[in-house]
Amino acid sequence: MRKASLIILAWNRWELTARCLDTLRRTDLEGAEVLVVDNGSTDETPCRLAGLEAATDPAGWGPAGLRVVTLPRNVGFVRGNNAGIAVADPAADIVLLNNDLEFLQRDWLQRLRRCAHSAPDIGVVGCRLVLPSGSLLHAGTYILPDTVWGQQIGSLEKDIGQYPGVYDVEGIVFACAYLKRELIDAIGGLALDFESYFEDTDYCLRAREAGFRTVLCGDVTLVHDEHGSTRGDDGALMRLFQGSRQIFRKKWGAKLEARYRHRLLWQSIMNFPSGYAMSCRELLKALEDERVKTVYRYVYGPGTVFSPSEPEQSGDYRLNVISARRSPRRPAVAVVYGQGDIFARNRGRYKIGYTMLEVDGFPRDWVRQANRMDEVWVPSAFNRDGFLRSGLERPIHVMPLGVDVRYFHPGIVSYPNPAGEYLFFSSFEWGERKEPWLLLKTFNDEFSASEPVRLLCKIINRDPEVRVKEEIRRLCLKPSGGKISYLFNLEFPHYQLGSLYRSADCFVGVSRGEGWNMPLMEAMACGLPTIATDWGAHTEFLHPGIGYPLAVRRTVPAIAKCPYYTGFSWADPDPDHLRHLLREVYEDREEARRRGQAAAREMAEKWTWQRAAQRIRARLEAIAG
Amino acid sequence: MDGHSDAERIAHLEGRVAALEGALKERSRVLRLLQSQLCRRDLILFSRIEAGLPPLPFGDFEPAFWSETVALAPSDVEETLTDLWRSLKSVAAPPAGGGAGGR
Repeated sequence: MRKASLIILAWNRWELTARCLDTLRRTDLEGAEVLVVDNGSTDETPCRLAGLEAATDPAGWGPAGLRVVTLPRNVGFVRGNNAGIAVADPAADIVLLNNDLEFLQRDWLQRLRRCAHSAPDIGVVGCRLVLPSGSLLHAGTYILPDTVWGQQIGSLEKDIGQYPGVYDVEGIVFACAYLKRELIDAIGGLALDFESYFEDTDYCLRAREAGFRTVLCGDVTLVHDEHGSTRGDDGALMRLFQGSRQIFRKKWGAKLEARYRHRLLWQSIMNFPSGYAMSCRELLKALEDERVKTVYRYVYGPGTVFSPSEPEQSGDYRLNVISARRSPRRPAVAVVYGQGDIFARNRGRYKIGYTMLEVDGFPRDWVRQANRMDEVWVPSAFNRDGFLRSGLERPIHVMPLGVDVRYFHPGIVSYPNPAGEYLFFSSFEWGERKEPWLLLKTFNDEFSASEPVRLLCKIINRDPEVRVKEEIRRLCLKPSGGKISYLFNLEFPHYQLGSLYRSADCFVGVSRGEGWNMPLMEAMACGLPTIATDWGAHTEFLHPGIGYPLAVRRTVPAIAKCPYYTGFSWADPDPDHLRHLLREVYEDREEARRRGQAAAREMAEKWTWQRAAQRIRARLEAIAG
Repeated sequence: MDGHSDAERIAHLEGRVAALEGALKERSRVLRLLQSQLCRRDLILFSRIEAGLPPLPFGDFEPAFWSETVALAPSDVEETLTDLWRSLKSVAAPPAGGGAGGR
C-alpha cells in the first residue's frame, strides 16, 4: 500500500480546523500521515495545533502521527499547499484537503487510494462534495474557452446518489485532491502563477499534458462547508478570482479552443418541456465532451409549426454558453433536430435533418423536406424503414439517443412504500398514443384490492379539451380490483426522476408507438424490470433478455389528434398478454430482478449519451472526409 | 361577598384548573395523534382551517380530489412519495413492514 500524506491547509477559523481534524481522526487512516499547514493564522490556531501535536496519541493519527508546519504569514492557497508537499514523505502520494471539510465516510481514503492506483495513467482523483445542507456541490469541473470560468458539475442539486463510480473529468476542485506521487514527480506542485483560484484546473490540465488522467471517484462523498475558511470579504475574493482568471486565460485559452475537432450548427428546441428539447440538451452537452464545438439556435418560433419564442435561459451554464456562441451565416455543417416539417430552416452548407416519429411512416411534407437534406438521421431502424417506405431518397443513418447513467442507475436513492406493496409504475402523457385505458383497465382486472400490489401512474395532461378524471371515471374501475394511485400534472426536476423509478418495482409502458421512449430507457438504466409494447423505436434497445416485450395483436390505423399520424398505422397491444406479463413479473420477482439488473448493465454499456455523441462525432468525421 | 368561604373558592378554582389541565392533555393527545397519522398536506390543511384560513384545494393521488387543470405543479419526488405513502396508510393499520420487492 502506497503511503499517503494528507495536507490540511488552515488559516484562522480554528473551529473549522478542529471539526475537520475531529472527523478525520475517526476515519481509517492506515498508511497515512497527517500534516497541518498553518498558513500564518492569527487566532488561536497556532496555539491549538501546537497543543494537539504535542498531545497526539500516535495510534489515533496513524503510525506517523500528526505534524504541524507553521508558516510565518499567509502565503496563499498555492504556496501553502506547496509548503506541505515539500515536507511530506517524498515517496508518498499527496492528498490536499481544505480545513472546512467533514469526513463522514470511514474508508474515504482507502477508496481514493484504490481508485488512484486502479490504472497507471490516473494522476488526480477527486470526490463528490456536498454542502452541510446535503446539496451536491461538486462532482468534477469543466471549463469552456468561451468564458474561462470553471464550473462545478452537479451544482446544488439534492443529493440522490448521482455520479456514482469512477469517471474521467476535466478537473476537480482541490478541496480534496488525491495526487499520485508519479504525477508530482513529473510536474511538481501547484503552479505559482496563481495565488488562489484556477490552480486546481491548471494542475489537472498540466497533468493531462503530462499524460495523466483526472478522475472523479463518485463512491467517496465529503461534506464541504464551501468558502468556510475564506468567508468574509467578497470583494477581495472576487479580485483574487478575476486576477487568476486572466492568468489562466493567457495560459490555457488557446489550448482549450484548439481541443475542438469539429464545429457544428445545431438548430433545435431546448428550453421547453418536450422530448426533443430534453434530448437536445443532453446531446449538446455530450457533443461538447466529445470536442464538437456546437452553436445552438432555436429552430421554431413565429412562422413555424410551433410559434412561441424560446426562453433565453436554459438553467444550465454550459447550454447558455453554447446558445450564446456566434454562428456563421452559412456554417459548413448544420443539423436540424426536430420534426421533419422544420428541416427547410437548415442553414448549413451541408444539411442534416434529424427526426423521429411514432408511426410506421412519415408525412409527405416531411419526406419532401428530408429529400432536400444532404442526409437524414433517425434514432432507430424502425424510423429508418418507415422513412424509406415513405419515399425518402437521401442517405439515412440510424443515430440512437441515450440515457444519462449518472442520474439513472440502480444506486439512486429510493422512497419505497413502507407498507411493502409491490409497485408497478407508469409515466405518460394522457392521450391515444399512450393507451392509458388499456393499462388501467387491465391492471384493475388482473389484480384484486386485497393483494399487496399497486399501480402508480404519473400522468401529464396539457390538453384543455381532455378531461382525465372523466375518462378514468368512465372506465368503471372496480374498487375490489387492483389498486391504482396517480400523480397528476406534477412536474419533478428531471434529475430526480431516477428516484421515482427506483421507488417502484417494475415499469410498464403500453403505448401504441414510440419515437424513442425515454422513460422506458431511464427505468431500464435504473435497473427496473420493464414491460413495454414490442413495436416502435424502443425495440432498438428492449429485448426479452433484459425486459418483457408486450405482444402486439396487429397494427391498426393511428387515429389521434396529432395530424402527422394520418394515414399511418401503429400497434394494438395485446391485453391478454399484458395481464399475463403483469402477473408473471409480480409472481416471479427473482427473474424480474435479474432482467432489471441486466437492463441496467446494458444501458450503461451501450446506450449512454456519450455513445450517442460519439456516433455523431464519427459521422461528422466521415462527412469532413 | 357571595357567601362562599375562601376555602370553597380555592377548591372551585383548583377544580377548574384541573379540568383545564385535563382538557389540555386531551387536546395534546389529539394533536399528537393527528400529527402522527395525517400526511403533510392534511396537516397544513388542518392548521389553515384552525387559523381561519381557507383550505387548500384538494389534488394529488385520487381523481376524486383533482382539480382538472392543465397547469403543472412543481414537485419534489421525496416529498410527493412520502405524502403518497402516508395518504395510503390506514389510521388503524398495524406498524409498517419492510420495503417492497427486496429493493
